[in-house]
Amino acid sequence: MNDRKDRYVTLFQGAMLALNFAAVTLICVFIYVTTGRILEHYHARAFLDEVVTIPENPKTNLIVCMALMGTLVATFTVRQFRKELQNKWVVITLILDMLICSAAIYQLDFNYNGLLLLVFANVIAYVKDGKMKLLFVVLAIIGYLVADYELLSIYMPLYNIDDYIQYYSFNTQQYLFSIYNIILSLNIILFIVYCVYVINAQRGTIEEVNLLYHELQTANEQLKEYADMSERMAQTRERNRLAREIHDTLGHTLTGIATGLDACLTLIDASPEQTKKQLLLLSKVSREGIRDIRRSVNELRPDSLERLSLEVAIRKMVTDMSQVSDVQIYFETDEKHLKFDEDEENAIYRVIQESITNAVRHGKAEKIWITLKKIDGEILLIIKDNGIGCDEIKSGFGTKHIKERIEMLRGTVTFAGQHGFTVTAHIPIRWGEMYD
Amino acid sequence: MRMRPLYKKILAGAAVILLLAGVFLAELQIRKKEVVLEFGMFTGSNWDVANANSFVIIDQAIERFEKEHPGVRIHYYSGVRKVDYSEWFSRKLLAGKEPDVFMVLGTDFNQFSSLGVMKNLDELMEQDPDFNKEKYFSSAFRTGQYGGVQYALPYETVPTLMFVNKTLLTKEGIEMPDQDWTWEKMYDICQKVTKDVDGDGILDQFGIYNYDWMDAVCSNGGEVFQADGSECYFTDDRIVESVKYIRQLNELYQGQKVVREDFNGGNVAFMPLTFAEYRTYKTYPYKIKRYANFRWDCITMPSGSQGENLSQVDTLLMGISARTKKEKLAWEFLKLLTYDEAIQTEIFRYSQGASVLKSVTQSREMESIVQEDMEEGDTVISGNLLGRVIEEGQIEPQFKKYEQAKALSDNEISKIVENDKTVDSSLKILQREINSYLQQ
Repeated sequence: MNDRKDRYVTLFQGAMLALNFAAVTLICVFIYVTTGRILEHYHARAFLDEVVTIPENPKTNLIVCMALMGTLVATFTVRQFRKELQNKWVVITLILDMLICSAAIYQLDFNYNGLLLLVFANVIAYVKDGKMKLLFVVLAIIGYLVADYELLSIYMPLYNIDDYIQYYSFNTQQYLFSIYNIILSLNIILFIVYCVYVINAQRGTIEEVNLLYHELQTANEQLKEYADMSERMAQTRERNRLAREIHDTLGHTLTGIATGLDACLTLIDASPEQTKKQLLLLSKVSREGIRDIRRSVNELRPDSLERLSLEVAIRKMVTDMSQVSDVQIYFETDEKHLKFDEDEENAIYRVIQESITNAVRHGKAEKIWITLKKIDGEILLIIKDNGIGCDEIKSGFGTKHIKERIEMLRGTVTFAGQHGFTVTAHIPIRWGEMYD
Repeated sequence: MRMRPLYKKILAGAAVILLLAGVFLAELQIRKKEVVLEFGMFTGSNWDVANANSFVIIDQAIERFEKEHPGVRIHYYSGVRKVDYSEWFSRKLLAGKEPDVFMVLGTDFNQFSSLGVMKNLDELMEQDPDFNKEKYFSSAFRTGQYGGVQYALPYETVPTLMFVNKTLLTKEGIEMPDQDWTWEKMYDICQKVTKDVDGDGILDQFGIYNYDWMDAVCSNGGEVFQADGSECYFTDDRIVESVKYIRQLNELYQGQKVVREDFNGGNVAFMPLTFAEYRTYKTYPYKIKRYANFRWDCITMPSGSQGENLSQVDTLLMGISARTKKEKLAWEFLKLLTYDEAIQTEIFRYSQGASVLKSVTQSREMESIVQEDMEEGDTVISGNLLGRVIEEGQIEPQFKKYEQAKALSDNEISKIVENDKTVDSSLKILQREINSYLQQ
């Protein structure tokens, strides 16, 4: 489709070039031939009385104009057949064209400024940059207005093709004037048709782009919907799993305990011994239940924490994060054995994870420092970054989750937004506190 | 070492370029050896008098110039007559092959200047420390100006003088008028001499022949046209007086036409003629051919009530082509022809006009040269008087429509003079007509 368009544009440009070539050649040859005729008939002095001025040398004039037009054809050919040409070269050839056209118009003493339309046409087709295009168009318009014979002949002596035409008899004059005017009009008509075509073609392209953009947006929205849906599905799946787990373990155990307790109520007056046995059994069942629940909860823990120790898990997360995003993360701890209760480890792990995510996403940080210390029976966790920080701490930047997690462990957390972002958390430790 | 082939290529390329440049420079040097400066001139006199020596001055100048500028040759086209010169030069112009330095006819100067084919000399004159325009007669110098720009320099100049038939005046018992004579005096003489000598009822002796209204305007201090050709002043009383005076003179002849034969036959007392004619017909061999049957002399033109004894000054101009590539040489050659005292002195020897340089025309040498060919008893016009007549003389205004405007007014005024028309109202109508032509 675009190739076809390009071909038509080229065709139009070629036609305009050919027409202009013909016009310039005709003018120069006409002046040359007419001069020869005047000399042949010894009308030179009488002719000079009728003209404003004369070209320097009709022969040189012809040669110079032909050379200039030849160069114009050459630059046109280079542009057409060297499609791989860099943009820079296209601009250079266009500027060269502009100079050549100006020179030719000057050489013709502004008798024919249709060449500027040729420059115009090229600018419309080749210059894509809006500002450059505007500049060229303004230049060309000014040129077209200024390079007008009638206007310039007020200020300087310029030879006039009309004077040469008027040398001939009245009938011949009419023919010559018609030919001259037809060439001028044809050039303008060709230029207008060309402009309309190029503008139409460009509008077509814009519509195509709009259509494609629309499709892309629709696809994007669909994708977002899919993502939402799959997230909801994952949530549902997780909920189902939790329900099943609770049903399977806690439900089972609690049902057993409830039934056993009912039996104990019946038994307690008749046989305290039997009841005691029963209660022992219930105690065992409830402990098994706790173990089951712990196992279930274990299954909900982050993967790495389940398999690895806290320190190794944190280091792995740090390495992973450093690799996927361009941040340098330094993790530092003076504790040999980082071993806490699962919920504490979970909280620490999640807080670090959340803080790194925040630092990268909101703070655009490049460096993150993580410190984990034990001071006076408390865990001190500091996560600091060199990002943009924020003047005012707003909830919702992931800080809410962090706060909740820490508060669940009866700890405290503070945030500071100056000089990057700093999260400082104090968590009391329950060393040795065991359920079993 | 791996780069060696590339180096070789570059070296070879450089060698070829150097060689070509060398050949080109050598070629230029050879061509430089002889620079040819083209000179355009016509054969014969600019004042339509016989002149067998028209090349002598130019040949002398060329010889001197070629000696002073080794390697320069000046080429001129010989054999172009004055009547053909305008067409010949126009043909050269159209083909873009006009000479570097050339003579310009008075009738072509305005047109060529407006075409832009003549070089603007203002800058060249200013930059040349040896050049002082004050040395020229200002009237002659101004002839080369068009639209306030100097496009040409004067080469030779000729004022108009009054031819007096001494034999006729003596016969009628009238004294030779002096240099300060007036219109009244001339009218007086004309009235006295106009008569029917042989008694056949037809006038056969007349006062003046060929004295036209422009001659009268000049000596009455009038200006017909605004210098830039935008307006004419036919209702100016100096011009009205002039036309009335011409009509008065004309009325003496009772409708009869005076012709050249009357003058040549010795039957007319006065006739304006150029300094060139004076010199030609005063000297051998031409003086035998014409005006041999009476003695004659020249004096200044009679002055009108508001003017002086002045006349129109005609000047032959020379210019440089606007497209010349040898500007410097062209200027030097133009200067040699128009500004060099030795060359300008030759004008008195080999041509019929006067030099455009004040110092040459007003010199003793000029007087002795002019004296050489004259008979004893002929008064030689003095250098000072000639100088004054040239310096203060009127020049033809330089604007594009001048030739046509003058032809139109000549035609109309001769009608006014010959027919019984009221001068004042007719001149008013003429002024309106000419003005509308000028402002077209």
